[in-house]
Amino acid sequence: MMTFLDVRVNKTRVRRFVPAHFTLLRFLRETEGLTGTKCGCEIGECGACTVLLDGKAVNSCLVLAPEVNGADIWTVEGLAEGFDLHPIQKAFLDNDAVHCGYCTPGLLMSSIALLNDDPDPSEEKIKTYIAGNLCRCTGYIPIINAIKEAARILKNEPRPLLK
Amino acid sequence: MIPEIEYIKETELDLALQHLASDKKVIPFAGGTDVLIELRKSKNPFDRKALLDVKGLGLNDIYIHSDTVIIGAASTHTEVEDNEIIKSKLPVLTKASSLIGSKQIRNRGTIGGNIINASPCADTVPALLLYDAQIVIRSLSEDRTVPLSEFITSPYETVLQKDELVTEIRAFPVAEDYGWGYYKLGRRGAVNISRMTVAALMKVDGEGKINEIRVSAGSVFPITSRISDVEKMLVGEKPKAEIFRRAGEIAAEKMIETSGRRWSTPYKESVVKELIVRVLNEAYSRCKNDDLS
Repeated sequence: MMTFLDVRVNKTRVRRFVPAHFTLLRFLRETEGLTGTKCGCEIGECGACTVLLDGKAVNSCLVLAPEVNGADIWTVEGLAEGFDLHPIQKAFLDNDAVHCGYCTPGLLMSSIALLNDDPDPSEEKIKTYIAGNLCRCTGYIPIINAIKEAARILKNEPRPLLK
Repeated sequence: MIPEIEYIKETELDLALQHLASDKKVIPFAGGTDVLIELRKSKNPFDRKALLDVKGLGLNDIYIHSDTVIIGAASTHTEVEDNEIIKSKLPVLTKASSLIGSKQIRNRGTIGGNIINASPCADTVPALLLYDAQIVIRSLSEDRTVPLSEFITSPYETVLQKDELVTEIRAFPVAEDYGWGYYKLGRRGAVNISRMTVAALMKVDGEGKINEIRVSAGSVFPITSRISDVEKMLVGEKPKAEIFRRAGEIAAEKMIETSGRRWSTPYKESVVKELIVRVLNEAYSRCKNDDLS
């Protein structure tokens, strides 16, 4: 069964026929070529496929493509404006929060969801929001530091919320 | 990989119920956090299933109606966790919902799905049992309300028929002077499958005796349930360490009586004793009783 999708992906309107059994993850990677979103466990444990669906962090491996008709989707490709990285991306680089990089797109999207909800998050809240993103390289401390730094930077130079 | 499916979405409840009443195999789903994982395990590509998306049916309202809290079955765990009515009226449910999976899972998974999936380790069930929750079920032919304590019949099995849909959960709040406790034991601090859950509500009277007590436990018995033997023993007693320890022993005896001695019993026996004590202490510490102070 094919299904028609009319969605916004990173601000761009997309209208496509997609197979109904495609997950949002497969739609983004295979139909749209947005391979920044990674495929990890496919059972909602690792968070590598995290994207924003109407402003909320979701595992795109556990969402069917037809479910998102009419929705706003943000992926990691939507963060930078041209060569100008989003402050959260810069903070991840500056804090060595990226080692192998496989978890990074998902962690960036969880961080954006957090900063949308709370521009000045406590460390406890940061941990709550990134608990669903596994990283086997960094030990998380650099990631938590990066999110704190991004929150500080965004307070002085706010960016439009990605919702 | 998810096999080919038919995807159905309706915005009218009656139309959704018609699909369920048809001869076709139609699986209702909301968050998909259990259903899609099950679907991936499907071995037979010719066994093509139809999925009915219930998210368009408006089943995510949370409100109070004559002292009963009504929770739409498709309310996500995040919606339940953040809801102010639930925070003030059903605090044990707020706590339980906040500990489910990850932020991503809580943003999708629903309270109805958690109950219908009927896992022995479902996090919301011990909390809802304390509030005498009822499950409202609709079908084309009949509407019925089933107490949660009778809804789950065995692990992963419920009384729900193929043509029926759970539309809402009703819960009955207790007075503000009740104290509550909730403990979820897992192998790590977050994104946990619960190994054991204990929840309690306690009311202490003017003489400092336990006036009313409700205790429920998940992953202790085959079906998550209240532990009536523990409740009976505690009523009328003064909350003391030895009484709480005795309550833990009764719960452990009951567990072994129900499930027999298994490979996990030496671990679970000592853990259930300890969790009962902790949760009773937590509930007691939250009891508001001016006469005591």
